[in-house]
Amino acid sequence: MAEVGNSDGVGRLGLLASAIARRPLHVAPTEPGEATWTDGNVVYLDAGKDTREQIETLAVQASLLAAGSLDHPIVRALARRPTLARRYLAVEGHRALTALEPLLPPSVRSLIRPDVAAASDSPSASLSAARSDRAIVDPPARFGTIRPQRLLASLRNAEKSRTQEHIARVQGNRVPLELAEEAAADDDTQDPFASPVGGRGAIGRWLAKLLAPVRQLSGGGSPGADAPTHWTRSGRRGKSHPLFSIATTESVDEPTVEKGAEGMKYPEWDVHGRHYRRDWCTVREVEAKAKAAARFPVPDRTGLRRSLTRLGLGIDRYHRQAQGDDIDIDAVIEARIKMLAGSAPDEAVFINSIRRRRDLSVLILLDISGSSAEPAATGKTVHEEQRAASAALMLALHELGARVALYAYHSQGRSAVSVMPVKRFGENPGALVLQRLGGLEPGAYSRLGAAIRHGTALLQDHGGMPRQVLIVLSDGLAYDHGYEPVYGAGDARHALGEARRQGVGCLCLSVGAATDGETLRRVFGSSAHATLPAPEQLSQVLGPLLRSAIRAADVRRRVG
Amino acid sequence: MKADVKLVRPGAPRPHYVAVANEERVFKAAFRQRTSILIKGPTGCGKTRFVEAMAYDLGRPLITVACHDDLTTADLVGRFLLRGGETEWVDGPLTRAVREGAICYLDEVVEARQDTTVVLHPLADHRRTLPIERLGLTLNAPPEFCLVVSYNPGYQSILKDLKDSTRQRMVAIEFGFAAPEVEASIVAHEAEIADAKAAELVRLGQAIRRLETAGLREVASTRVLIAAGRLVAGGLGMREAARAAIAGPLTDDSTVTRGLHEVIDAYLAD
Repeated sequence: MAEVGNSDGVGRLGLLASAIARRPLHVAPTEPGEATWTDGNVVYLDAGKDTREQIETLAVQASLLAAGSLDHPIVRALARRPTLARRYLAVEGHRALTALEPLLPPSVRSLIRPDVAAASDSPSASLSAARSDRAIVDPPARFGTIRPQRLLASLRNAEKSRTQEHIARVQGNRVPLELAEEAAADDDTQDPFASPVGGRGAIGRWLAKLLAPVRQLSGGGSPGADAPTHWTRSGRRGKSHPLFSIATTESVDEPTVEKGAEGMKYPEWDVHGRHYRRDWCTVREVEAKAKAAARFPVPDRTGLRRSLTRLGLGIDRYHRQAQGDDIDIDAVIEARIKMLAGSAPDEAVFINSIRRRRDLSVLILLDISGSSAEPAATGKTVHEEQRAASAALMLALHELGARVALYAYHSQGRSAVSVMPVKRFGENPGALVLQRLGGLEPGAYSRLGAAIRHGTALLQDHGGMPRQVLIVLSDGLAYDHGYEPVYGAGDARHALGEARRQGVGCLCLSVGAATDGETLRRVFGSSAHATLPAPEQLSQVLGPLLRSAIRAADVRRRVG
Repeated sequence: MKADVKLVRPGAPRPHYVAVANEERVFKAAFRQRTSILIKGPTGCGKTRFVEAMAYDLGRPLITVACHDDLTTADLVGRFLLRGGETEWVDGPLTRAVREGAICYLDEVVEARQDTTVVLHPLADHRRTLPIERLGLTLNAPPEFCLVVSYNPGYQSILKDLKDSTRQRMVAIEFGFAAPEVEASIVAHEAEIADAKAAELVRLGQAIRRLETAGLREVASTRVLIAAGRLVAGGLGMREAARAAIAGPLTDDSTVTRGLHEVIDAYLAD
C-alpha cells in the first residue's frame, strides 16, 4: 500500500503532466538534489521543492514531450554531449512552452521568454541554434535537464517488442538454432523446472516450433470447410443441458473444503489412482501488490461490450401488472366480473414487457505462472496478452452490470498455492485495481485444479448472484511439483466438472499461448474453451462461449 | 415509465446558441427537405440547446423525449388506459408530434431499446408515416413534422450502437466542443461571469480534455464548465467551484480525483 500512498507525494501531479503532454505520464520523486528529468514515461521530480516550482518544472518537461522536442533523432544527436543538451534545452524549452502556451497553467506562462523562443520554430531549428557558436544563456534551473541516454533507453524498450514480432514472423517455423537460443537468453523469466530438451527449454521450444502443424486441423473443423480455424471451441458438448442437470450433488466422493487459519484446503483428483486426495492442496490468498507506476492502461473494450450486451437480454412479458404497454384482456374481464359481482377488483390489468436484469456473477482466474512469460505470437509475452484480456473482460462485464472478481494464481507445490485478489467482488475497478493488475509478475508454476476449486468456492460464497460463471485465463499448461501434465490435466478437468455440478458455468480462454488444441482439450475437457492469438479477438468468440456457459449454469439453477 | 415531454412555444427569447460550423444551415435544409436528422456529439456539447434554437427559428413546437432503456414503443406511440369500465386511447409524444406537426426530438436515442427505435423507421424515411397498430390506423406526417434524434458515439455507458437501418434513414450533424474563444463566450453568457474567468475555466476544460486515457469516462464538457461558472457567479472561489462542478462529477476514483484537484489548482487562481 506504500506505493499507492505515493499519490500523496509528487505522484499526484501525474494527471497534470499527462494533460500537458497529451500522453499518459507518471510522476516520481528524484534522488534529493537531482534536477528534474524525464524518460518519456515518467517525469522525475524533486519532492523537496514547493508546489509552484514543481508545477513549473513539470510543465516544462511535459511541454518538451508534447512539442516533439524529445523525439528520437533529436535525442540521439544529444547523446553524450551534455553541453549541447543544455544549450538545446535553453532554446527548445522556451519554444515548446510557446507552442503550448494556450494550454499551460497561468503560473507557467510567466516562464516564457519570447525573445529566446523567437529564435527557433522547430526542434531541429533549436538544435542548429544550440550547435552554432551563438552565446546562449544557460536554461533556468526550473527547466530541469535532458537525459538523452535514459530517453533513448526507454525509446528502445518501446521498439523492442516490435522487432521481436518482426523476427518471429519472418522466420516462421525455420528458426535458425542460434537465433532460437538468443531468444531464449532474452527471456529472463524462464521456467527453470523445464527440461532443456523435452519441455519448454530452448531446444525443446525450437523442436516444438519445427514440428508444430501449420494449422490445427483437429481443432477448428475440417480443412477447407467454412469453419473457423484460428480458435477452437468444444462448447457444443457444454450446451447439452441435461448433462448438467442429471448429475446429483450427492456424489460419493464429493470433495469437501475446510477453511482454516492456515489457508484453505482443497482435495485433488489422482488420475492414476482414480480417487480424491483429501485436503491435498493449501490455497492462501495473498494481497496483490499495487504499483502506482505500473498502473495498467485502461483497455479498449467497446467491441467486447457490444458482443456481450446481447447476452440474456430477452424481453419477458409480464401479465397482470399495475402498469404496462398493453391491456391484459383476461385480467380486465376478471376485474369487470368482480366489480359487477360487487367485490373489489384487482387493478393490475396490464401486460408489461421488461428486459430481464442480468443476474450474473463472474470470477476471472488469471494464470501468472512462469510459463506465461513466454513470448506470444504478437511479440508481447503471453502474460501481457492474458492480462490485457482479463482487464478488458473485467471492465466490460462490470460495466454490463455483472458482479465481477479477478484473481491471479500461481503455485509452488501443493502446500503453497497462492491466489491474489486483483479485484474482489464488490470492489470498484478503479485505479487501485489497475495498479494491482499492473504489478503482477509471472513466476512459479500452476496448480490449476486447486485454483479452480478455490475460484468456485469464492463464487459460491461471495458471488451473490443466481448465475455464476468461472472464466479461466491460462495457457493450459498445468504444471507443478508432483503435478505433471497428465496428472494435472486430469485434476483440472475434474475441478471444472465439480464446478459445473455446483451450478457454476465454466469457460476457459487461452490468449496468445502456443499450446496446441489437443493439450487444451485434455485440460479443459468438455468446458467451453477457446484459443486466441490476441486479446482483440476476444469479442468474436466470447459472446457464444459465455452464452453457452451461462445457459449451463442456468439449467443447473432451475433444477437446483 | 412516462417519457418527458417538453413544449417550447414561440414568443420566448431565442435560446442562446452560437453556431460553430454549418450545422444551422444543414438542419434547416434537412427540415425543409423533410429529412430526419441525427445529431452526434459528446455529452454536454450543446446538442439539446441547438435543437431548441432551431425549433425557435423554424417556429415549430418542440417535443423532447429523454430516452431511457425502458422506453417502449407504447411510451412513444401511445397506449390504451382504463377509465372506469372504458378503455381510452392516450397519444404518446411521437404521435402527438406527428398530429401537431412538431419537431420531435429523441434525446440519447441509443438508450432506448432497439425494438423501440424500429417504430421510427417508416417515419424517418420517404414514407413519413406512423402506423399505430393498436388503433388500426396510419398517420401521415405533415410537412412541418421533423424527427431529430441525438446520440453520443463515445458515451462509455452505452452498451449498444444505433442500428444501421435506423441511422441510414437520417442525415447526420456532427458536434464537437466549440473553439476556446467561442466556448469562453458561451460560458460567460450562460453563467453570467466575466470573460476572463470564463476563459480560465475553458483553459482548464481544455487541459482535462487532453487526458483521454487517464481513467476518466467522460471529459469536461461545456455543460460542466458552465456549472462551475454558475457556482463562481454564486459566490464561490474558482478552485472551489471547479472541484465541485468539474472534478466531482467526472470521477469517483480517489486517485484520479486527487490528480484532477492538482490540475485545477495549477490552472485556476484561488
